[in-house]
Amino acid sequence: MTSKPADPIKEAEKRALSNKDLFKTFARWYSVVEVSNSYERLQALSFCFALSGSLRKLYKGDDEGYREALKRHIQFYNSEGTFGSMIHGVTLSMEEEKAKGNEITEEVVTGFKTGLMGPIAGIGDTLIWGTLKPIILALACSLALNGVFVGGLIPFLFPLAIVLIGFGMLKSGYLLGKESVMKLMQTGLINNIITSASILGLFMMGALSSTYIKISTPIQFSVMDSDPIVLQDILDQILAGILPLCAVFSIYFYFKYKGQNYNKLIIMLIVISLVTGFFGILSSS
Amino acid sequence: MNLLVSILCGFLYFLGTSRIGYGLSTATGSPLFYGLILGLVYGKLTEGLIIGATIQLIYIGIINTGGNMPADQSLAGIIAIPIALQTDLSTELAVGLAVPFGVLGVFLDQIRRISNSYWISQAEKHAENLNQRGIFNCAITYPTILLFFITFIPVFIITLVGADTVTFIMDAMPQGIIDGFSVAGGILPALGFAIILLIIGKRELMPYFFIGFFAVAYLGINTMAAAVFGTCVAAIVLFNSINQKKELS
Repeated sequence: MTSKPADPIKEAEKRALSNKDLFKTFARWYSVVEVSNSYERLQALSFCFALSGSLRKLYKGDDEGYREALKRHIQFYNSEGTFGSMIHGVTLSMEEEKAKGNEITEEVVTGFKTGLMGPIAGIGDTLIWGTLKPIILALACSLALNGVFVGGLIPFLFPLAIVLIGFGMLKSGYLLGKESVMKLMQTGLINNIITSASILGLFMMGALSSTYIKISTPIQFSVMDSDPIVLQDILDQILAGILPLCAVFSIYFYFKYKGQNYNKLIIMLIVISLVTGFFGILSSS
Repeated sequence: MNLLVSILCGFLYFLGTSRIGYGLSTATGSPLFYGLILGLVYGKLTEGLIIGATIQLIYIGIINTGGNMPADQSLAGIIAIPIALQTDLSTELAVGLAVPFGVLGVFLDQIRRISNSYWISQAEKHAENLNQRGIFNCAITYPTILLFFITFIPVFIITLVGADTVTFIMDAMPQGIIDGFSVAGGILPALGFAIILLIIGKRELMPYFFIGFFAVAYLGINTMAAAVFGTCVAAIVLFNSINQKKELS
């Protein structure tokens, strides 16, 4: 860092990249995040492509530096795309220093990226994919089930939110720089926000599980000529929603202790459903 | 099925899986959106929306951790919705039709990601030659062109010849199997919720899951009400923890 930036906004006027450059970087990132996702390096190519324009500007007339930078950022990268944009911002601010000739080694840049992509993915997956997405889709579904056509369009609020949050993250990452972002990550505030978001997410997952997992048992016993005993009524008296709850936690513990093999589990679930449905042990209601 | 509708379906699936725009495919590839569009095409808007929403609910909690896709909501929707609308299938049968395709779609995605390994090796050469345009092509143009063939062709063919076959199979299918598939449609939402629990379900926070669950099971509150109460509870916890920190320091 040059001097201590007292006011990062004012400082921005002296920076090499303009708001427009940052927006272009974000637009590139936003467009391609998952397009070139490969097993080998996941989002590496998208990361490199997103930064390529701004790096060219930073390393103006320095082809060797530009080449090194491109190669530096085509290495393994994977994080959550929305909050992860902050890493792009910080990376650009570090590359800016490096291009000016300041002493920043390649290890520092790469170390920062790889060190932060995990924790940031944790925040993003919780807030964006684990909380925001199911809430938006659940609201859309409840409208659509009533035949309201807007329900089919509400899912578009999700990418809109991603654009707004993601660009904000990239910009603040660039303006704040590495030191401030690290400091911010170390204050408890981020942790408090993650905890609260998880609480909202879990609360909603509970509510949605109860609303949308629909299984019950049609089993009835008739003893002599008396009224048949309906098993589901007994279960409801013990604990409402006991079967959906069992379904969620059976899958949860399966993943936790047997590894996350989705294909195998889905096929198992379908087989179990077919068998229990065929013999009238379970039904959907 | 109508040739034009099949072309539209193939294109919608391509659009929904192209992943151009982060999170945009969540909307353009959602069974809800497909239900809206195809409902308009068939002039059965309400049915389209209801079938779309019912299929959507199966995949509501699905998230791709580390890029791995557990199930493909888009393929499930784009096959089941037009065929159901065309042949007047019940919603339960549409779910039964959607579920197997939701599994198959995962393999299409795996083909895509395997083929992408080639483009990154090409892009490295472009980086060496400072070819920004080349990197652009490897990051978006080539994978997208390839994806078009991976996605458009199967959906086009299945929807084109599928309706007759499906009617034939569904007519011949015993009621027991149909019941089985509708049970699957009832259980599968649990998969997505369980995955989210794995990600955000710290042990000390799990009571909030149960509060949400039983608020619906016993008090019968709807989704919007749950969102309102959930936000309030989360806000209380956030403010308390910030105040505590202030008192400590």
